[in-house]
Amino acid sequence: MKRKESPSNSLKAYEGQPLSGSLESFDHITKELFDGTEDLSIRRFHVFGQHKAAMYSFSHMVQQSSVNEDIIKPLMHIPHHLQGRSFAPDELPDVILYEALYHGDVAREQKVDNVIKAILAGSTVILIEGVGEAIVISTRSIEKRGIEQPATEQVIRGPREGFIETLNTNLALIRYRLQSTDLRIKMREIGRRTKSKVAICYMDGIADPEILKELDRRMEPIDIDGVLDSGYLEQFIEDNKWSPFPQVQYTERPDKIVANLMEGRIAILVDGSPLALVVPTVFNQFYQTVEDYTERFMLMSAIRMARLVALMFSLVFPSLYVAIISFNPELIPTEFAVAVAGGRAGVPFPAVVEVLIMEVSMEVLREATIRLPQQVGGALSIVGVLVVGQAAVSAGFASPITVVIIALTTIGSFATPAYNAALALRLLRFPLIIMAGMFGLYGIMIGLIIIANHLLALKSFGVPYLSPLVPGNFQGMKDLLIRGPLGSLTKRPVFLNPQDSVKFRRKENDDAAGKQQDNPSPS
Amino acid sequence: MENTDSRQITLIQASAILISTIIGVGVLPLPLFAVRAADSAAPLVTIFAIGVAFLGIALLTWLGMRFPNQSIFQYGNDIIGKWLGTIGSIVVIVFFAVLTSLTAREFGEVVVTSVLKSTPVEVTVIVMLTLAAISARRSITTFAYFHTFYFPLLLVPCVLIAILSLGNAEVINLQPILLTSPNNAFMGTFTIAALFQGSFIMTVVIPAMRKPKKAMKASLFGILVSGGLYLIIVVASVSVFGAEEIKKLLWPTLELAKGASLPANVLERLDAAFLAVWVTAVFTTLLSSYFLTSVALKQVLHLKEHQVFTFILLPIVFFMAMLPQNVTHLYVIIEDIGRVGLYITMAYPGLLLLIAMLRKKRGERNA
Repeated sequence: MKRKESPSNSLKAYEGQPLSGSLESFDHITKELFDGTEDLSIRRFHVFGQHKAAMYSFSHMVQQSSVNEDIIKPLMHIPHHLQGRSFAPDELPDVILYEALYHGDVAREQKVDNVIKAILAGSTVILIEGVGEAIVISTRSIEKRGIEQPATEQVIRGPREGFIETLNTNLALIRYRLQSTDLRIKMREIGRRTKSKVAICYMDGIADPEILKELDRRMEPIDIDGVLDSGYLEQFIEDNKWSPFPQVQYTERPDKIVANLMEGRIAILVDGSPLALVVPTVFNQFYQTVEDYTERFMLMSAIRMARLVALMFSLVFPSLYVAIISFNPELIPTEFAVAVAGGRAGVPFPAVVEVLIMEVSMEVLREATIRLPQQVGGALSIVGVLVVGQAAVSAGFASPITVVIIALTTIGSFATPAYNAALALRLLRFPLIIMAGMFGLYGIMIGLIIIANHLLALKSFGVPYLSPLVPGNFQGMKDLLIRGPLGSLTKRPVFLNPQDSVKFRRKENDDAAGKQQDNPSPS
Repeated sequence: MENTDSRQITLIQASAILISTIIGVGVLPLPLFAVRAADSAAPLVTIFAIGVAFLGIALLTWLGMRFPNQSIFQYGNDIIGKWLGTIGSIVVIVFFAVLTSLTAREFGEVVVTSVLKSTPVEVTVIVMLTLAAISARRSITTFAYFHTFYFPLLLVPCVLIAILSLGNAEVINLQPILLTSPNNAFMGTFTIAALFQGSFIMTVVIPAMRKPKKAMKASLFGILVSGGLYLIIVVASVSVFGAEEIKKLLWPTLELAKGASLPANVLERLDAAFLAVWVTAVFTTLLSSYFLTSVALKQVLHLKEHQVFTFILLPIVFFMAMLPQNVTHLYVIIEDIGRVGLYITMAYPGLLLLIAMLRKKRGERNA
């Protein structure tokens, strides 16, 4: 017997091989492939009391009651309308499919490898002696958690549903919000071993076909053994893997996906991952939230600005502090400068070292709070806050102003709705602090120019990352810093090159209706 | 998705490139140049200079619109022959390499003198040059994005400082408005006009414009905004300090920023903040001349990529930047080179245009 190289390879040996029709030979194949696997159940029985048959499935993946009631029962116990008739083996699949089985999702399969794949995917397969065809019945039933409110993207006003791990449920969540014939869902299989199902969703007639082609081109060469989460996929399809900034957005909110689909973006869902990917992504998506659109525009514009301020804070605040304290204390008002100097009097380190130490300990604290179980986390954060805050100051380790700065920075980075974008800014803060320590304000500007240049040159699927700011687009700017009234956002984002650009249209017969009301009809 | 990089630049982007290229470190000594030329008539001289500068850029733009698919380094060969054209291009390249190094050195001196007093000037110069070199590796579309992004950042501090210093302004300092000694004014006009030389970048921008026909509009717009800003700065500093006082200041604009302070005492002094924002202005100017130099080299040598040159140029430009012995020497060179440069950036395109018209040469129209 030849040496098995890997499961995917041993299955490859049967690629395209037709079923022989002999139960014994198929048994042999399963024995070879699933050697020693004990959850594979093989149930032998006689179809209509005459023909030898066997049923294969992974018993834990199928819904037993349905298998018993809808498959075994009608096959073993001849239904009334078939009583007294006898069938030749090659008639059997037709009869079973059309007259006996009580199941909606049934297919016929002639190839060995496809039959094995179906068993692996959780289907039930029936083989009958002397018939060169298998009947594949989708009986997969995996335990899944209920649909809950998304943990990472909570809203006060807006839908409460979040994706779960099962792909079919997620697709259903999208489909019921977007009951349109234009919603296309293309399936793919990625992962040599995991054979993960990947769904690509887009709106036909809105999404740019060029971007779709580009996505296909990037998905094609992915040859990884397993895709366990959409995050794996993101790293294969992104434009620049050396960029700290995420070029693909992820979300666990079906409503967000639907909104993005309708703007002309493409969503990618992976079976087993509650996070869907959205491409192309531009930077402004990372500080927008669902509420921006569900709540009234003036309030949310103000809040969006606050979020932007927080974003900038989290990036430059500590470095500005270092630069001003170490190089240009004359910039700040004298009274304040004196207070700062007084606070720093007992601190032995230069400002840059002090800020770096505090920032690093803050990162450690934050990481620890995320990883710890919830029961311990609370206690830790209290200790941490005390240590980093009060005690560090009394110990002469840091000045009170530094603590304020670090606190503002940390809170600022939490205000960014997208975790991955906040991470990028968190990371970039450190080189900026070092630049500030070396060259003061000049150093910060150099650092910021490098970051801005990188952002300006970055693209996500051919779409400039800072659109619609640069290259500028007036329509797009209405939804950039502020969120314009919904009525004024009449066009889909131009940078996505939507095939149908009109989003909102005032009904023309509104005017006519108004006029009719003005002129009372003669009665 | 590969061909998206050609012919993408819009009218606004072209104007933004011009504005942010022109506004640079030259703004800092600008009032000094103007006052030296004509005392209190400095604003008038500035207006003349804007006129001269516009003439120069108009010639270049006209040429560019005549050959909408080529830059001066390509149509130069068509108009006056391969040898003369190549020589012309090389002169332009050398000039812009020198201009890049002088700009870097000038700003390096500013930073070392006013903010980072214990940092050697070599460090600040090499940092700026490296930044420009890295950024100049990008395509022309991204280059346009850079400029569009930064140019609002240039307008705000200039206008802000002018407004804030209104409180200290004296109208009497601006009188007499008219010229007293036309001779000095003539030289001064050209010195100031030389500050607009970065606008030569237009020659590589036009072949990448979506509608080259709008190039003239972009040039006009670019000169108007940057010229207007120059004028505001000159008027503001002359009215605050008076002509005699400015002659004693090396960088009057920076002094203007020192004198201004924000209401409510948020920031007590603005000069360091102003200088910090000004880093972007200098960066865009450097980027343009660096980009122009490397693209020109590419076109003269008929290569496909200009990226090769960015790092080859770096040591050369840095070496040239270190040649002037001190700030005074530097400014003597800057003024001389600037005026010589006018022959290159104005007379050369003018000559080309004349010959092109006489020989009835035109570029392809199918843009």
